[in-house]
Amino acid sequence: MLSRRGFLGTAALVSASAVSGRVQAANIPEAPIMDKVTMQPPLHPTSGPDYRPVVTLNGWSLPWRMNGDWKEFHLVAEPVVREFAEGMKAYLWGYNGQSPGPTVEAVEGDKVRIFVTNKLPEHTTVHWHGVILPSGMDGVGGLSQPHIKPGKTFVYEFEMKHSGTFMYHPHSDEMVQMAMGMMGMIVVHPRDPAFRPVDRDFVFIMSTYDIDPGTYLPKVNEMTDFNMWTFNSRVFPGIDPLPVRLGDRVRVRVGNLTMTNHPIHLHGHNFAVSCTDGGWVPESAQWPEVTIDVPVGAVRAFDFTADNPGDWAFHCHKSHHTMNAMGHDMRNMIGVSKQDLAKAVGKLAPDAMVMGSTGMAMGEMEMPAPDNTLPMMTGSGQFGPIEMGGMFTVMKIREGMGRDDYSDPGPYKFPKGTVAYEVDAPAAEPARQDGGKDKDGAPKMKSMKGMKGMKMKGM
Amino acid sequence: MTAVADIAGNTIKKDVIAIRSVDDAQQADDSVKRLLHQTLNVETAVQIALLNNRGLQATYNELALAETDLVQESLPPNPTFSISRIAGGGAVEIERQVVGDILALATLPFRSEIARQRFRQAQLRAALETLRLASDVRRSYYRAVAANELVGLLTDAKSTAEATAKLASKLGETGSLNKLDQAREQVFYAETTADLASMRQEASSSREGLARLLGLWGGGLTFRLPKALPALPRRPSALPLIEVDAVTHRIDLQIARIELDALAKSLNLTEASRFVTLLDVAGIAKTTRDPDGSRFRERGFDIQFQIPIFDGGEVRVRQAFETYNQAFNRLTEKAVNVRSEARDAYRVYRSTYEIAGQYQREVLPLRKIITEEMQLRFSSMQIDVFALLTEARQRIASLRAGIQAKREFWMAQSDLQTAVNGGGSGDMQKESRPTTTAQAGSGGGH
Repeated sequence: MLSRRGFLGTAALVSASAVSGRVQAANIPEAPIMDKVTMQPPLHPTSGPDYRPVVTLNGWSLPWRMNGDWKEFHLVAEPVVREFAEGMKAYLWGYNGQSPGPTVEAVEGDKVRIFVTNKLPEHTTVHWHGVILPSGMDGVGGLSQPHIKPGKTFVYEFEMKHSGTFMYHPHSDEMVQMAMGMMGMIVVHPRDPAFRPVDRDFVFIMSTYDIDPGTYLPKVNEMTDFNMWTFNSRVFPGIDPLPVRLGDRVRVRVGNLTMTNHPIHLHGHNFAVSCTDGGWVPESAQWPEVTIDVPVGAVRAFDFTADNPGDWAFHCHKSHHTMNAMGHDMRNMIGVSKQDLAKAVGKLAPDAMVMGSTGMAMGEMEMPAPDNTLPMMTGSGQFGPIEMGGMFTVMKIREGMGRDDYSDPGPYKFPKGTVAYEVDAPAAEPARQDGGKDKDGAPKMKSMKGMKGMKMKGM
Repeated sequence: MTAVADIAGNTIKKDVIAIRSVDDAQQADDSVKRLLHQTLNVETAVQIALLNNRGLQATYNELALAETDLVQESLPPNPTFSISRIAGGGAVEIERQVVGDILALATLPFRSEIARQRFRQAQLRAALETLRLASDVRRSYYRAVAANELVGLLTDAKSTAEATAKLASKLGETGSLNKLDQAREQVFYAETTADLASMRQEASSSREGLARLLGLWGGGLTFRLPKALPALPRRPSALPLIEVDAVTHRIDLQIARIELDALAKSLNLTEASRFVTLLDVAGIAKTTRDPDGSRFRERGFDIQFQIPIFDGGEVRVRQAFETYNQAFNRLTEKAVNVRSEARDAYRVYRSTYEIAGQYQREVLPLRKIITEEMQLRFSSMQIDVFALLTEARQRIASLRAGIQAKREFWMAQSDLQTAVNGGGSGDMQKESRPTTTAQAGSGGGH
């Protein structure tokens, strides 16, 4: 969990309350470090105003200390190794041992002082995306502050005037630093605990990377052809499930720092967008959704009541985004017999595995792959392979879970008679309305001029 | 023949035989048959050629002819007997003479020594022919085996190309590949087929070339060659004394040296006999019977010699002298060339080893890694099946270059042997021509 060297108990810091305004170097709080990739339990506040904390998917919230009436956080920008899922590690840049960085939680009206130490090989800044603050605290290198040189520590001080969901990321060599994974979420809780409260509050940020099979560093100059689509820099099956107690009021906050939009889809429920990075959406303005598009550089939080027990897929609806690394320049092998394909491949590459002649479904196969590469589609459930990757996880809604229990409840026990099932049907051609006369729609490529296979002499 | 057999035995560790009798022929034939039972390696191929090549046997026949010359030159000159009878008017005069070529007799040791050297030279020449044949066989053998290996490689390549061409055509039928891409995928098959055909032809021609050198025909033509060249030796030979070795061992150099010796001796001979070219001493016994019936005998002798008053023997001496100088310069030139050839052959040997080694140690293992990684990428659906084909083409090209580099090494190794021992064809043979010409021109020297 939290490393001991990192986290100073807030009680020990009373003497620091004398400091106000510009701080002294000796008073910089130690920076907590996280070395785990699984979802950490919510960090309940032990000082300052109370709130119901969020849970960061495959992540954690940054501990803080009170210094007088200031909440002090310390972010260290540094190179990190992030495991995307078992079998693949990426060399990224992040904060406090992780990419994305820890979630910064505060309460509306809090005065926050955030120390930022740069342990990167180049300068950086932090921009508090969506937070309304003085211009000089906005973190745009060159525009509103000098860049933070390597080895230097800067401090940002501002008041969290609005509750809501925000993000932080560099505004200094931004293209590279965001492509390297530098980002995190900010959640500002309403001062009034009665304002649109929820029982479970999940938060994560979406980021994408282009990491060639067998390599570790993302290509930072990529614009469109990414191959790793992540929730909090994790890909399925490395993404934790979202465990929910039946009947809980649930909020999911999603930030998007990728270069494309992501239609986020939850099965089994409808929900309403309650918040963006611009603030709370009035309840009267909400409409029901099952998919919400999260635009580039934006946050969407949606609320719903978890009234439908089961294992519910929760994913980006762009189907390539629920795949891990895959080639795009591929022939379609559908319609070629597996034997033909195996024969050709066997001659070319005796050890290779043959797939794709009936589709790509390959969840059941243990595929040999280059180093540090995940299968394109993988994961398995109680009925077999799930054949997913990337931005995919499962919301597990169960009866009788503990209030703060975020442990994986395991596969859903389907009540008898509630699972789709096979019926006896004749193996022959199913009866068709038109009596099967019109077959022109079926693949008749062979007879199409100019499309048929070229005849080779001697073959 | 013993000398030739010694040289063959010492330098290339092979048996040679001059077939003079039915037994010899039978013995050679048995050996050849026995060797042909197994798959030939370069050594057995050379051995077969040395036993079975008729051209070589013809060279050995020449050697035998040189031997008869030696015998002739080693015998004293035959004395001449003459008897004359003159009768007339009752008188009869009978004169008997025994005439011996004293000079010939006096120079007999000289001449027989020269003849012995000539014979020695003929022996060496026969040995040179033997080595040359061995060298030709080695080159021809490596050429034929390399062609075999390439045929094997291209046969595999063709079947790979055929499978993918069929796949391309199938994808055309399913609607996944247009005509342009089908043609692109199928052209490799077409090209490989053509390549294979020309390589098969080369394999068959080089096999014929080898068969000629091995003197094989009829049933012998079923000889078996290995499918692949031998592996490279673990490390190349280090030969710091290569020049000395070559200068000591080169048979053609030895021939030139003997030539020079013989010329030197014949020059002495010419000097010694410059004023007297022919000296006949005749023992004369004369019996005269007068008409009166009395007879009396006379004895005496008669010496006749030719004095070269007009040319003083000068011309012959100068001819001999210049011929000697010419041969001396030729020998020196040859020694310089032999050193250079040896150095060059050694460098070629080392560099072809490095090149072939680079393919074996670096290029082909890297190609293997690339193939494996491409397979992994294919298996994990990162790349298309035809990307494997593109890679396969490059791998085949590398394998091919690797085989060719290995062949160059074995050729260079064979040439190195030849550069040290002699018997090279091509350049090295041409190098030895001027000496042969000089020798032909020196005929008047003795």
